[in-house]
Amino acid sequence: MATQPLYIMLSSADRDKFQLASMIASVAAVSERSVHVFVSMGALKVFDKNASGNERYGDSGLNVELCDQNAPDPIDMFGQGKMLGDMTMWACSMVLDVLGWNESNLVDDLFDGQMGLTKFLSDAEEGQLISI
Amino acid sequence: MSERKTIDARGSFCPGPLMELIAALKLIEVGQEIEIWSTDQGTAKDVPEWAAKVGHETVESGEKDDHWYVVVKKTK
Repeated sequence: MATQPLYIMLSSADRDKFQLASMIASVAAVSERSVHVFVSMGALKVFDKNASGNERYGDSGLNVELCDQNAPDPIDMFGQGKMLGDMTMWACSMVLDVLGWNESNLVDDLFDGQMGLTKFLSDAEEGQLISI
Repeated sequence: MSERKTIDARGSFCPGPLMELIAALKLIEVGQEIEIWSTDQGTAKDVPEWAAKVGHETVESGEKDDHWYVVVKKTK
């Protein structure tokens, strides 16, 4: 049986959840599984291209410990997943509107474009959807 | 004996060693081998699991001194 595509809806800005989402996405993508990440709500602000380093995650969850241990940056891991595997990332068009942003406000070379929730949910019917 | 390259990923957290291995596999020829060193215990199980899933061969794995090691042969 062919492996189902994996759809990840990322809405949390917490470092813990970002770390987990980026690990799941990158490992699945390099394991010959198609991965599609939809970034919405507070999670999208984390991808502000003008935010610096670990400050973008605030004091959430294990951020301090992960920084102290020099754990891989989630944004770098999303980038590795795209580079080494079959992975797309989509910015929630509604949140871009709320923030008054467009794709140029986001970290370079990660996003494949913007998408509405309806289209993402429709696409996700053919695979496995997890929400973080 | 196949030509073997070693990657020292000691100190790198999961899934860093796996990612380093995959990047290196893209640069070698079919039949060549890579030995990955890791201080992340999960690597010893994760790398063979990944290799089996995508169709590469785990030649050997184990623990040595301060790290775990896995040797993977590129098969496709």
